[in-house]
Amino acid sequence: MAISNEIYRALEAIVGPEYISNDPVICEGYRSGPGGYENGLGYERVMTRIPGCVIMPKTTEDVQRIVKVCYRNEIPYVPYSTGFYGPRSHPHVEDALLIDLKRMNDFVLDEKHFYVEVGPGMIYSPIQEECMKHGAYVVIGGGGAQASAIANLIGDGWSPLSHRIGLPHRRILGTEVVMPDGELLKLGSLATSDDAFWGESPGPDLRGLLRGYTGLRGCLGIVTRMAIKTLPFQPERLEPTGISPNTALALPEKRIKWINFVVPSKDAQVTAMREIGHAEIAGAVTKVPLFWRAIAKAECKEEFWDIWSKENEETVANFFIVRVLLIGFTSEEQMEYDERVLMDIMTEVGGVARRTKPSDESWIKNADSAGMWLMCGGYVSVDYVIETLTQSPDHGPAYAEVKKKYTPPLMPDYGDPGWFQSFELGHQGYSEFLVYWDLDDDTDKVDQFYVDTSKMNIKNRFYTSLLGPHQPLYLTGPKYGPNYHEFLLKVKNEFDPKWKSHPPVPLAHDVFVERAPWMHHMKDWESPDDLVK
Amino acid sequence: MANERPIRYYKPKSDFKFDIRDIENFVYDMSRCIKCKGCTWVDHTYMPGPKFSMRCPSAAKYEFDAYGAYGKMRIGHAMAEGLLDWNEKALEVMYACTLCGACDIGCKRNLDLEIELSLESLRVKAVKDGVGPMPAHKKIAENIAQHHNMYGAPHEKRTGWIPKGITPAKKADVLYFAGCTASYVNKEIAQSTAKILKAAGTEFMLMLDEWCCGNTLFSVGLYDEAKALAQRNVEEVRKTGAKTLLTSCAEGYRMWKVDYPKMLGISTDDLGFKVVHLVEYADEKVKDGALKMKKPFETRLTYHDSCSLSRLSDPWTPYEGKRGWMGCVEPRLQRRRGNPEIYAKPRDILKSIPGVNLVEMPRTRENTFCCGAGRGTQEAYPDFAKWAAAHRLEEVREIGAETLVSSCPWCKNNFAQAVKASGGDVQVLDISEVICASIEG
Repeated sequence: MAISNEIYRALEAIVGPEYISNDPVICEGYRSGPGGYENGLGYERVMTRIPGCVIMPKTTEDVQRIVKVCYRNEIPYVPYSTGFYGPRSHPHVEDALLIDLKRMNDFVLDEKHFYVEVGPGMIYSPIQEECMKHGAYVVIGGGGAQASAIANLIGDGWSPLSHRIGLPHRRILGTEVVMPDGELLKLGSLATSDDAFWGESPGPDLRGLLRGYTGLRGCLGIVTRMAIKTLPFQPERLEPTGISPNTALALPEKRIKWINFVVPSKDAQVTAMREIGHAEIAGAVTKVPLFWRAIAKAECKEEFWDIWSKENEETVANFFIVRVLLIGFTSEEQMEYDERVLMDIMTEVGGVARRTKPSDESWIKNADSAGMWLMCGGYVSVDYVIETLTQSPDHGPAYAEVKKKYTPPLMPDYGDPGWFQSFELGHQGYSEFLVYWDLDDDTDKVDQFYVDTSKMNIKNRFYTSLLGPHQPLYLTGPKYGPNYHEFLLKVKNEFDPKWKSHPPVPLAHDVFVERAPWMHHMKDWESPDDLVK
Repeated sequence: MANERPIRYYKPKSDFKFDIRDIENFVYDMSRCIKCKGCTWVDHTYMPGPKFSMRCPSAAKYEFDAYGAYGKMRIGHAMAEGLLDWNEKALEVMYACTLCGACDIGCKRNLDLEIELSLESLRVKAVKDGVGPMPAHKKIAENIAQHHNMYGAPHEKRTGWIPKGITPAKKADVLYFAGCTASYVNKEIAQSTAKILKAAGTEFMLMLDEWCCGNTLFSVGLYDEAKALAQRNVEEVRKTGAKTLLTSCAEGYRMWKVDYPKMLGISTDDLGFKVVHLVEYADEKVKDGALKMKKPFETRLTYHDSCSLSRLSDPWTPYEGKRGWMGCVEPRLQRRRGNPEIYAKPRDILKSIPGVNLVEMPRTRENTFCCGAGRGTQEAYPDFAKWAAAHRLEEVREIGAETLVSSCPWCKNNFAQAVKASGGDVQVLDISEVICASIEG
């Protein structure tokens, strides 16, 4: 139902005329595509719509009032923080109200209790800067330093820093959620007082529901306030240096440094990561895709292809790197000790230290997610996996094998088995698989590859995180629960019986498969005829 | 075993060139925006904290996504595809923008997209489509046509700024182009510049008949009118035989160095003379000892990087090529990423003055927040221009600076007005005045 003049005026009364617009030009500015994360693919073309109206609340109370107007008047709405997460964070139905939360950018740092409290408009890099000024740090999620911390944390928020800091969503403390009908839900210590210092509270912990497996894109409500736990960092200043595009943080080498090691095999990579974890040293331990090194070296996309074209399946298959960030959290002596332990581990696995720049371009304060688009123009991470460190040697090659079938249009990556790293001091292993393509190519096969990865995971019994809103729920839910889909839909129906909060998530990918003729031949799973009533 | 598959898939190649008269040349760039908002945020490495985190004045002021480059790229793309028409809001989105280049250089931190050229092209399109420029810009165009200056002031008074004791040469290697603002409004800048040249022992001449550089015309999309001025001005300078054209205005500097060659289809090197800004000249003269900064200036001072001197002024090279698979272009293209050599020069000059305590604002160099005055903004959206200057002044006050120095009369004027409106606690000076005061001691 379109937003009538009467409803528009009701919404305008909440935020004032400056902060609401249904002008087609303003609404076009919120279009998901044509470029960006997952954009240009069928999902974006079939599923996204330009909003019918945009509103920018300032307070939680504003959001509550807006949602109540929507619920009463059957107006679908979508919460939106930065819009970076591609089509899945944009409206999927006609005449939706887009609730742009960027004005809700409050920031409070509690130095004594080591947490920050932020609104959904607050992005990562200012948080990290402020934390570091006060001897603390947080994870900058792989989504980038420009991501809304709240949106990223209720989605994924993983980074190499998770080796030490742990899974970022474990760092969520007191949280405030406006439910789909406008009621306010307070989690953690906010449930009993206005102090957000603690994550748990009386009754069941609902923080996981905000996330589902990897984020429900606001289909269960809008998080308007969150406290995030920070951890102690080393005290010396990391000085920004250089001029764009070559900017980096200069590292005080006695307190913090990256060291790149080349190791002889994948097994050695895994062993090194596990041993580093067991020794409880390092701030990050990671192995990035080989082509990221080419991105970092290249001044332009043509130079990237010059560099990358020198690789082949053999060179990629025989290149094993382990990148370690050492941090002297407590002292220079601790850092020296950690380095000696690291060198012992590397000697045992046959690792050789390479010359590494005494600077940080990505992960401590910046995360160069935007650079992922340099060489091709089209990009999406098709899977994130949190499993054990030992799952990656099987999972990566299995992925690379499926990729081959779809290359082209996927970028020739010569079988690169993806991104792989240690989480929580080696207790968990993280893998991420990224694909790239040219937006001007026929991308139907990329859409098909995306669903095929789920089938591959199911067939090989690989655990995967990209379920729920990211894949057809009726394909993945029965295989990963076995009733995950039923559970999630019951929660959705309970929280949002009218399905007005970002419809048709969490069934959006199911709907996409129904609507896209080039996907029909892939549908070999059962789903109701009337997916969304 | 090596991969036997051909590395590059077949892809039909499309022709394009850096010609802002045709928006089709920039559809690729507009369609590849990824909404990372690198155009808007301060480079994350330099992010100063929750305060002063943005570098795009339009996005900071108007807040809807449409006003950031990510919104403008989507709107421009939809217009180029015929899916969206101009309306009042579209004009505001395109013209309430200082074209300061923050978005362009921010985007090119990670990507290769031509944001600034796309925005310039959209303004040319607005004019071609009969909806642009804004009424205030049309008045300026009339002034320039009739009086050869943007203010409509009497043309015969253009050289009225020349100070007593200084007589420009009839013939010299250096030609000083004062520009409209320093000729009529901020004469102290032109006068200081002339004194600096004299003090360094550099003879200089003026154009026989100096006309407006056409900055506002070009900036608002009046391409044909701006090109006519470019042709006329370049020919006049060539006739003088000058080897160097010196400006004290950042906007004028950009016009001569970048936008004239852009409109004339030549490279900066083909102008036939070198274009330098006063800060480049003075930096060299301070370092070779020709200018001696003697008189102390006891002040806590901060420097504002004028956009057109830094982010927007790498030399122009015409480009015509083909775009193929993955968007790769042939021949190889040197992407425009600003003028990095310029950032140190004004700072070196200021630090050489006894007594100056140079302190930096949270947003400096390529992350500078524009003063809000340039590229037609002040004329059409004066409230926005005032807001931007006032916002920047908050930063000046945050670091406790007593003096704010820039390298452009547009910046000086706008800041001076903002200071006046807010209590007058900051002294606003052009760098020419600061140098002049120090050498005169």
